[in-house]
Amino acid sequence: MDILKKSFKKSIWVFHLSTAACNNCDIEVLELLTPKYDVERFGIKLVGSPRHADALLVCGSVNAHAKPRFLEVYRQTPKPCLVVAFGSCGCSSGIFRDSYSIVGPVDKVLKEEDPDAKIVYIPGCPPKPEAMIEGIVKGLEAV
Amino acid sequence: MSWLIYYIIFPGFIFASIAGLLTVWLDRKVSARVQWREGPPWYQGFADIGKLLYKEVIVPEEAFGSGFIAAPLFGLAAVTLAVTILCVSFFGMSEGFIGDIIVVWYLFAIPSIALIYIGSTSGNPLSSVGVSREIKLMLSYDLPMAIVIVMMALKAGSFSISGIMEWQRINGSNISNWYGIIAFVVAIFCIQAKLGRVPFDLPEAETELGSGILLELSGGVLAAYELSKAIMLFGLPMFLIILFWGKGIIGGVLMYLLIVVLLILIKNTNPRVRIDHAMKYFWGWMSGAAVLAAILAHLGA
Amino acid sequence: MAKKNNQKVMKNLKKKLKKDIIDIVQPRENRIYMRVKPEKAPGIVEYLFSKYKCKLCTASGMDMREGIEIIYHLAKEDENMIINVKTLIPYSKLEIESIGKKIKAFRWIEREINEMLGVKFKGHPDMRRLLLADSFPKGKYPLRKNFKNSDVTDEDYDYERSGI
Repeated sequence: MDILKKSFKKSIWVFHLSTAACNNCDIEVLELLTPKYDVERFGIKLVGSPRHADALLVCGSVNAHAKPRFLEVYRQTPKPCLVVAFGSCGCSSGIFRDSYSIVGPVDKVLKEEDPDAKIVYIPGCPPKPEAMIEGIVKGLEAV
Repeated sequence: MSWLIYYIIFPGFIFASIAGLLTVWLDRKVSARVQWREGPPWYQGFADIGKLLYKEVIVPEEAFGSGFIAAPLFGLAAVTLAVTILCVSFFGMSEGFIGDIIVVWYLFAIPSIALIYIGSTSGNPLSSVGVSREIKLMLSYDLPMAIVIVMMALKAGSFSISGIMEWQRINGSNISNWYGIIAFVVAIFCIQAKLGRVPFDLPEAETELGSGILLELSGGVLAAYELSKAIMLFGLPMFLIILFWGKGIIGGVLMYLLIVVLLILIKNTNPRVRIDHAMKYFWGWMSGAAVLAAILAHLGA
Repeated sequence: MAKKNNQKVMKNLKKKLKKDIIDIVQPRENRIYMRVKPEKAPGIVEYLFSKYKCKLCTASGMDMREGIEIIYHLAKEDENMIINVKTLIPYSKLEIESIGKKIKAFRWIEREINEMLGVKFKGHPDMRRLLLADSFPKGKYPLRKNFKNSDVTDEDYDYERSGI
């Protein structure tokens, strides 16, 4: 089992989920796949279905529309999995904190469903690619 | 008894999965290099399979449980058997039997049928769209490939793998003639469609259908599917080597690398095609080229 | 003079809709502001849309302290001008006849004004929520002046209505 756990760190498949985001963070995710900051050398690739995913990249603060759907996607991801709260909107709600339709940042919504979920916080609006890579590396150490 | 050792250790399951996962790594590395990136390290294929075995398997409620789990394992067993029969004749360990090239081609069709089965029992409407595309694609590429196989067998005068290789050892390999080159081009495209790679990866369309047929697979079941795909990536170029080169091992390794690099370059330079374009392409141009090659083979060019 | 040419539309409207408009001004060459009563507004807008060949740009609503003012912005393309039809609906009777019954272009904007400001559109065929989530509590209208963000807490959301 130890070798399987070590191979978990060497290949993380990421599913990108956007809950009420302004789409700036969604575009910045693409930067990591470009030749300058290539993350495929760490074994990370983007997949099309949450059932194949090891990490959920949640952009945006969570909306009242998005909350039941986000929890449903989290339930359908096979455990063990990692949740990445991406950007200022994911960590706290950023400048949309007091809005009438924002229910809460990612960790407040997720603790209702699963109190010991593993969450990685990457702040920035949008985060710089170096910050993203550092967040991923720290997350891999904690798994 | 020795067949059991052939099936499990060499050249069966363990040898084929190691060779297949290294070929998958080669695919990702060359694709990354073509895009001026670094690629993953050499153990990436093994890490992917190990990671998938570590995760849990979720069976959805509307799915037909036992078939859902059994189908990829069945595909894996069939493709391992096909690669065993192929490599046993290629490495000269046993004689084989008459008609074994047809048996091998039909054993290679079983993973596609397993894929259709998985997609139908998933209980997801996106999977059923993928299933209909996979059925149409299977009907498309079988025709030119069947023409090519029968042409090579008739030219060699025997339907067994060792017979075809023996004929090529005496009369020169098939690829050094005009009909061989045309048939080789046809076979490369049919292989690309069979492996489900761009430009023909419609059933497993990643962002269009949310991974299509494979939408509901997770954990060990997905590991079985990925392993069968990797073994097919090793087995199908070997099939082409036997049909077109047929001589020793050193030349075989170089030919293997050539075929794999051609498959990678086709993948990196093309977009995904629609299903009606794919059917027109295989039944029109490719079948026509295969018939032309058959006529040239008969005339002796 | 340039202004003389364009008063043609204003004079035309004054002649056709004599009694219904409270007042009508043209402060610039390509703008006409018309103020009407809330009972007459849907009829005038329908007339402008169908017979007078105007197109709907949008409709905006604002909470004045005495009531809610709805402005219909209509564009008349051959004369290059925008005609604004203003009505002030008092808080005592927050209702107006719906134009979306007959003309499809007005349906969505009336849904939005209804959910954000609380104006009732009589006879609208499909009054669902447009922008707010289904789980947002009923009876609270976010774009009114007396709405504070602390009025809606986490317990007020009712996720049973969200359709999952």
